[in-house]
Amino acid sequence: MTCLSGFRNFPKLWTSTPYFELVVPATFPVSFFLMVTRNQHRWFSVKTTSPPNSKSTNLLVAKARTLKKENDSDRQISSDHYFAAGAAKMRSYLNNNPQQRDHAMPRVRSTIELPTKPLNSEEWDKLKDDFNGKASFEEGVISQMVHSCSSVDVAKSLLAWVAAKNNGIVGYNLLVKYLYLCVFHKETSEVIDVYEIMKAKYKCLETGASSILIRGLIHSDRWREALLLLEDMKKVMIPSKRNYGDCIQGALFHQDVNMAWSLYQELIGHNLTPLLETLKAFFDFGQDINDDHYSNKLLDILLYLRNNQLYPGESFAHSIKTWFESIPGRQWKGQFTTVQKSGQCSSCGRALESIHLSLEEYEFLKEKIMRDVIDGGDQYKKTTPQELQRFENFVNSCPPFDIVIDGLNVAKMFPKRRESQTLLNVVSHLAQKNLQLLVLGRKHMLKPSSRWKEDEMEQVQKQAHCFFADNISKDDPFLLYATLNSGNHCKFITKDLMRDHKACLPDAHTQRLFFKWQQGHQLAIVKGSPRSKLTFQHTLSYDTVVQTTGDSWHIPYDEDQVQRSSYEVPTKWLCLQRKTQAPAPC
Amino acid sequence: MNVTVRFLRPFARLMVSFTPHGKRRNLYSTVLQRYMSSKAPSLSCHNKESISPPKQLELDGWKTTMKSSIQEDGVSVVSDKDEDALAATREMIEMRRLLGSEVPEHITEEELKTLMECPSKSAQRKYLKYLYGKEKLKKAKQIKKEKKAEAREEAKKAKLLEITTSKEQQEFMFLRLWDRQINIAMGWKGVQAMQFGQPLVFDMDYENYMKPFELRNAVSQLLESEGWNRRDVDPFHIYFCNLKINSAYQKELVKRYSGKWDKLLLTATEKSPIDLFPKDSIIYLTADSPNIMTTFKHDKIYIIGSFVDKNTQVGTSLAKAKRLNLATERLPLDKYLQWDLGSKNLTLDQMIRILLSMKNTGSWEEALKFVPRRKHTGYLEISQHSKEVFSKLKKTKTRSFPKGSLNVQTWKR
Repeated sequence: MTCLSGFRNFPKLWTSTPYFELVVPATFPVSFFLMVTRNQHRWFSVKTTSPPNSKSTNLLVAKARTLKKENDSDRQISSDHYFAAGAAKMRSYLNNNPQQRDHAMPRVRSTIELPTKPLNSEEWDKLKDDFNGKASFEEGVISQMVHSCSSVDVAKSLLAWVAAKNNGIVGYNLLVKYLYLCVFHKETSEVIDVYEIMKAKYKCLETGASSILIRGLIHSDRWREALLLLEDMKKVMIPSKRNYGDCIQGALFHQDVNMAWSLYQELIGHNLTPLLETLKAFFDFGQDINDDHYSNKLLDILLYLRNNQLYPGESFAHSIKTWFESIPGRQWKGQFTTVQKSGQCSSCGRALESIHLSLEEYEFLKEKIMRDVIDGGDQYKKTTPQELQRFENFVNSCPPFDIVIDGLNVAKMFPKRRESQTLLNVVSHLAQKNLQLLVLGRKHMLKPSSRWKEDEMEQVQKQAHCFFADNISKDDPFLLYATLNSGNHCKFITKDLMRDHKACLPDAHTQRLFFKWQQGHQLAIVKGSPRSKLTFQHTLSYDTVVQTTGDSWHIPYDEDQVQRSSYEVPTKWLCLQRKTQAPAPC
Repeated sequence: MNVTVRFLRPFARLMVSFTPHGKRRNLYSTVLQRYMSSKAPSLSCHNKESISPPKQLELDGWKTTMKSSIQEDGVSVVSDKDEDALAATREMIEMRRLLGSEVPEHITEEELKTLMECPSKSAQRKYLKYLYGKEKLKKAKQIKKEKKAEAREEAKKAKLLEITTSKEQQEFMFLRLWDRQINIAMGWKGVQAMQFGQPLVFDMDYENYMKPFELRNAVSQLLESEGWNRRDVDPFHIYFCNLKINSAYQKELVKRYSGKWDKLLLTATEKSPIDLFPKDSIIYLTADSPNIMTTFKHDKIYIIGSFVDKNTQVGTSLAKAKRLNLATERLPLDKYLQWDLGSKNLTLDQMIRILLSMKNTGSWEEALKFVPRRKHTGYLEISQHSKEVFSKLKKTKTRSFPKGSLNVQTWKR
């Protein structure tokens, strides 16, 4: 392992602060580029933000806030399917009393007043006398500097003071933290100085320092040495995706496309998932080149996103759009849009890929569910072999079902109502539509009690097929199997997100298949009052994944301001069209 | 160095234009100020060392000394690739120690190999942290030992003085052979338990579910359980069932007991408990059981799974009991204790102490004292308990089942 525990809470290197991201509109990202002139490098800014005028920034912040608020209220109305991005957050918000939330205790740390300008030795001595913490003074101060991102000069004066006291020797940990500050403030020449020192003093570096050095070096014209550092790392372990990402960005920075692609191949070869910013860098760089080979590789990246069900972020989506539109002669046109319930893109009207699994995928999933979720190497864990046999006989004796109901989950929907009554309501509502129903439950439901009325359960059994498992068996696996066994048209009703069963599946591919199937087949009841008419959250008819038809691309992306859980899918899309073929109504 | 200074200035200016943040703005403006004020020395930096202002610290001087300082020697040229990786890892650990992360100071070849076999970076980090903790503990013990030895020396000296001063004869009834006497007495009790004691079974069938460190923990807990049993007034007759010869379990037990293993007053067998005892008198204790243990029955054979489960494989022992078609029970923790946090799985020694206490006194309040205090906030008063049951009943009329009795995946709100 390589990342140092101490560095884990460092803010991201080389990125602007979150504050910037809030204020600067996403369409005008602050971008730096490097010009190499006579062995000196200077940073230029293409576009500067407004002057640091507190009034105007406050205004912008306020604006961003109101914008966010509006978005939120929009979302409340439009969070229409169960797996929409942010839906879980909204549900938990609606379920909990909002006033009870957000009472995290502020963190208390013993702090010293950090100097804002370089001090001389006497001043450092004095500061040290005032200090009474646990760790050594130098270490404490520099850690705090790292946290508050002090200027390099202050840190340098500290180091000089330490060196003067200590025969010109500065400890490795101080040096690394100083290096971090230099990298953070993009002081490239200083980074190179420290690099020289480290090379001279230590014959090898550990991975934390190497990572920071790589970050620092890729912007200089000695960026190839970053690759050497990467090689050194490989001796001990597989470098992280961030290390690879940095090197790739460095290579792209210095126009070495082949190196960038070979590093990318290596990264994929190690089974690491590249950072989205690395992929974005390829697209950003691609705008300047017209090369079929390069374009094909970019399309390969899009397919990689598709196969691994990754979704680009908002700025990445913009990069993709810009790259497509920059291809000469093809006249791509990009639109940010949403998809209608029917599965048609609101911008071009094309139908998106269906959510349904192919026949092979379906069979594959069915077998995996049977083998890994229900059986799982020990049939006694979730059920018993006798019960499994009984269930299989039962399922085979019935016609295919249209809807499978998780009886206990549905019955407990309204805590103030009798369980059997709620269940009966749902069942009779669905039975009126002439659907073949299966209600799964446990045996205790048949035992008459105040919560389970005998006559109501009898009526349920009249209107639907019922299977009651043992009280200590799990009923969800039966639900999944019964639904899968009935065929593609069959849906199931539960509010359970089935995350634990998804986790039983052996690999990510199968889990994605399961999730896809779940999106298309799970009906969740919209909880209104018990007496109101029964409504379901509609299932998706289209698959939320990067997709193409050759002359069009549809790419779902994550908005910056929405928190998406892993079991949810984005709702926003980037629609790309070849203009010549389909004049899209905009 | 020349380049450095020339290069910094435009950069500093640029930084200022980029910092709308209030707090940081001051910081940068002071940097800028500093640059403006120290313009003269920084421009004439060719002969900086002579001119630098008297009070100001020399900012870049340390770099030259650092660069010129001798590199640590001992660069061994190793051709073998395996050796090379080992050496590189060793150096990496050393560097991380310099950085102040939690890694051991000394690491043996064997530990290094274990480290290299770790499947992931986080596993490596954990292993290093474990070694670090171990090393620290060892050092602390060593220091303590030395201190004690010192104190003993001093006490000896003081005693010598005392003896020389007072040479009175004292009369005693017994020689000081307490430990041996106690051991012999416990042995007698143990033999009696072997003949007439109530059986208590430890089921060792979970070896395949455990990782090596979990297995070591399980063995430690077994040792402690056996110790608690030996000291009791009326010990159980302990059975280690399903203990396969030459399994990792057996090897570890033999290793930990060293010479004592063959003289232990318990029954270790390869057989399963259902071969030894009638099926209907067996009760398998597991926290996943739906049945609550109400009383301790003196005519039953209780089985405890000797299984340390840090991997949350829920329901393994329940599945086993289901397979063998055995009765199961769990401790009435919720009935007597206001449970706070932590899993309801208790360690083996806690289990045996609870069972011993139940066997001797029959009172749950007394027995459940061995549940760790951090896991619960206190005992439920009986009146309070009945009240709770009442309120629960009231609630369940409209609401749901008591939590533990069903494993329904429902949204409880």
